[in-house]
Amino acid sequence: MAVYKRSYKGYAGPLTPGWSRFLILTRFSYARLFQSKFLLMFFASSFFYPMACAAFIYVSHNLSFLTAFNIPASEYLDINGRFFYYFCNVQGATAYLLTAFVGPSLISPDLVNGALPLFFCRPFSRLEYVAGKLTVLVCLLSVITWVPGLILFAIQSSLAGWSWTGGHLWMAGSILAGLLVWCVVLSLIALALSAWVKWRVSAGALVLAVYFAGAGFGSAINAVMRTSNGSLIDLVQVVHTVWSNLFRYDAGLEMSPASAWIVLGSACLICLWLLARRIRAFEVVK
Amino acid sequence: MNGQAARPEGGRAGGRGHVTFENVSRFYGEVLGVNRITLSIPPGITSLVGPNGSGKTTLMNLMTGLVRPTRGEIRVLDIAPSDSERLFRLVGYATQFDSFPRGLTGRQFIVSFLRLFGYSLSECERRASEAIEQVRLGDAADRKVAAYSKGMRQRIKLAQAIAHGPRVLVLDEPLNGLDPLVRSETIDLFRRFAADGCHVIVSSHVLHEVDLISDQVILLSNGYVVAEGHIQGVRDEIQEQPMQVLIRCSQPGAVAARAFEQDHVLKPDCTPMAADYWLRRAIPTVFTEC
Repeated sequence: MAVYKRSYKGYAGPLTPGWSRFLILTRFSYARLFQSKFLLMFFASSFFYPMACAAFIYVSHNLSFLTAFNIPASEYLDINGRFFYYFCNVQGATAYLLTAFVGPSLISPDLVNGALPLFFCRPFSRLEYVAGKLTVLVCLLSVITWVPGLILFAIQSSLAGWSWTGGHLWMAGSILAGLLVWCVVLSLIALALSAWVKWRVSAGALVLAVYFAGAGFGSAINAVMRTSNGSLIDLVQVVHTVWSNLFRYDAGLEMSPASAWIVLGSACLICLWLLARRIRAFEVVK
Repeated sequence: MNGQAARPEGGRAGGRGHVTFENVSRFYGEVLGVNRITLSIPPGITSLVGPNGSGKTTLMNLMTGLVRPTRGEIRVLDIAPSDSERLFRLVGYATQFDSFPRGLTGRQFIVSFLRLFGYSLSECERRASEAIEQVRLGDAADRKVAAYSKGMRQRIKLAQAIAHGPRVLVLDEPLNGLDPLVRSETIDLFRRFAADGCHVIVSSHVLHEVDLISDQVILLSNGYVVAEGHIQGVRDEIQEQPMQVLIRCSQPGAVAARAFEQDHVLKPDCTPMAADYWLRRAIPTVFTEC
């Protein structure tokens, strides 16, 4: 046996905090994602509706301008729960499209390229990996959903005064909770599908299929079985029920808010289970 | 950046400094990965040798915590492989998979994965440059990995494994696809690591490829360790193990009859379709006389 002098000296310098290391993955993912011009254009276009809403709020506080043209605007231009409910609908749908575009490119390339062992051969856990990828989507979707929602609320508050703000503060909570939950659900669905469907295009199509097929099958079940329980698999109707409940607006939906919350929670748990099954250093083929 | 500091040494102060397996088994469902492995790997160059499917990669995945044992206990410098935060500061692993994240240059590949260790960007760039120089890939470091040859990809994999300055280097078939000059340089690199008191654990399915460089050889077959120790001892051990020899000939019956007269031949089998003749023999040196 050879005799070796032990001269090894390990690194003893400063390290970044362990809790923040998952953000490295997020940063690298953004750098790659924003190389796409299409994504940049889509991302920019998703701010059109919030800007239109901001203009709407401004106009609603400057009715004298409209009355000069004999337009009876005051009955239409009311900033209330319904206004923010429709804001959530539009931005929620935009967030879905963005998810279908961005989500599949997050995990599937790592699986296709066999890069997962490279991540897990570092002081980096599966949980951190999923957190890093989840943060990419949650932050991106937040920027087009609840962040502009809260900005609109702030604009309305500044124009309407403290009395309005005091009486409608619950709306800010509803905007944050309703849209943040939607961002998390969408992100988890996209990651789970991206982990199980290696081909990017198929994964993107599947994300959209969850949106449309759920609605189609839900309606079919309701029609055939003469029930309303089929709507539970219609993710769009589920989240609309949650939003209408949060904004105290009757959108004419039959589902109970409790059922809708349970469906969203279950969807998140299923996605986490799918991710836990798939995100492993080595694929075990049985 | 905050004040969290890296541990300079792994394990307890009184740790034995070995990689140890104690009665370790790993099954993939009903398929055996490795079974009842008890080993103690000292510093120096250790080779895991065995045919495909003998359990070399499973053993490496077990010691790096990427696969958990079904039974038994593993310690790497007295650290449990499940403690990835401490383990991977001391362990560098290059898998046999020849795949990389798309679109990255060699340097970006190393820097991006070094960031996961918590080093600052400047520290990562310094370490990446050092590692690239060590594997003699300086000229190609800023080219995309996708444009690398097989040998260059092997070297960049080696660079990512050594970039953080590990004390235990686990390399799955690191000499595959290297030309003789690069192979010689890579072996020198292993020797330098071993000379620093590090563990260099390499796998190969060709015994003579690693017998010149290894301080210790572990011979695996069908998930079991069949021999371990110094290369000469393992060679002697092999001589005593039954083995199969395939003879392709025009008169298998005659050969079988002649061979069967020998005491050390256990079982001759004929496969008429291919006109192959199989002998399972006990002592190979005697066989050459028949």
